[in-house]
Amino acid sequence: MDYSPGFSDPHSHQNDQYASPMSLPPSLTPRSVASREDTHANASNDNRFQHRPSIASKKNIPDMGPPSTVTSYHLSSVAPSTPFSAAATPYTPRTADPLRVQPSLQNIVSTVSLGCPLDLKRIALQARNAEYNPKRFAAVIMRIRSPRTTALIFTSGKMVCTGAKSEEDSVQAARRYARVIQKLGFPAKFLDFKIQNMVGSADVSFKIRLEALALKHATYCSYEPELFPGLIYRVIQPKIVLLIFNSGKVVLTGAKERREIHEAFERIYPILKTFRRAS
Amino acid sequence: MANYQLYRNTTLGVTLQDTLEEMISQGALTDQAAGKVLSEFDRSINLALDKRINKKIQFSGKLSTYRFCDNVWTLVLKDFSVKDPNQSQHNTTAPTSQIPPADKVKIVACDGKSATQA
Repeated sequence: MDYSPGFSDPHSHQNDQYASPMSLPPSLTPRSVASREDTHANASNDNRFQHRPSIASKKNIPDMGPPSTVTSYHLSSVAPSTPFSAAATPYTPRTADPLRVQPSLQNIVSTVSLGCPLDLKRIALQARNAEYNPKRFAAVIMRIRSPRTTALIFTSGKMVCTGAKSEEDSVQAARRYARVIQKLGFPAKFLDFKIQNMVGSADVSFKIRLEALALKHATYCSYEPELFPGLIYRVIQPKIVLLIFNSGKVVLTGAKERREIHEAFERIYPILKTFRRAS
Repeated sequence: MANYQLYRNTTLGVTLQDTLEEMISQGALTDQAAGKVLSEFDRSINLALDKRINKKIQFSGKLSTYRFCDNVWTLVLKDFSVKDPNQSQHNTTAPTSQIPPADKVKIVACDGKSATQA
């Protein structure tokens, strides 16, 4: 906290940071890759230039949320990189109000019991998009496209559903898997649905001095850059584990409820501000 | 000894089986002999496709469904098309049967390494 006078007011630093190309590479790399793929598909130069504006126009889509919520986890599409680059404009004034930076949910793991023993081989043979390799793993791995999720289905009738981005999606996906099993002729029910873990991520859009943070908050932190580049920060109340990277990106995990992710982030954000990297 | 029998469903395999059945019905061949011919066919075609084919093609499609069970991948592709291999080799106009694009294609893939054990 003694850092705050020194590091909270350098306006110039922040402006420099956004103006300098140094802050851009994370957004640039995925975009250039994506556009290259596009041109491959269309095999013409004109198309490349037509794609740029369409990328730019995407930042107006409201669903994208605040710019800072985007992380580099999505490798697949053009979209993630765009809001990030859009961050340059709204955040140049110093008034980077913490309320704007919100963690966004990235993954939800839930479990449910179907309440009947299952013949995995039959499921694997009859259902679509199923993998079953009992030598490797004793569950059928099944996927659906909407909500885009993966389920692990065990012979005991228990099921794990992963990959949903919201609580509603997780329930709906689990119900759809249960329905698939039901349609194969098993008396599947839907018992004890429970969200086991939620993962969120956020981007505070400034760099963080992890070494200093690890020293000051040694009781909560584990920072071993030779093992893992992120700092592991354990918030006690709510019981959340954060991975903090020097780029300013934060991953929050261990939550059973969305509220815990937000609470933990609201606790950590003022701390991170005091450990902002000056350059 | 056991080889994959999945190539019996190819044009070659089907016509061979037709011929064998015809010969059996004419009394020119015993069931046993026909079985031997078929298993020799399995062995030869597995060997030939493994060792004597080095041509490669590229195809693309959108994966519609997949399944992995008993070490067999079953893939159903939509909008299947084969990339034209003739572009690099100029005008050889070899009588390669062009594979037409298709709405749906099913690919059944077995483990090539364990073919001899399977």
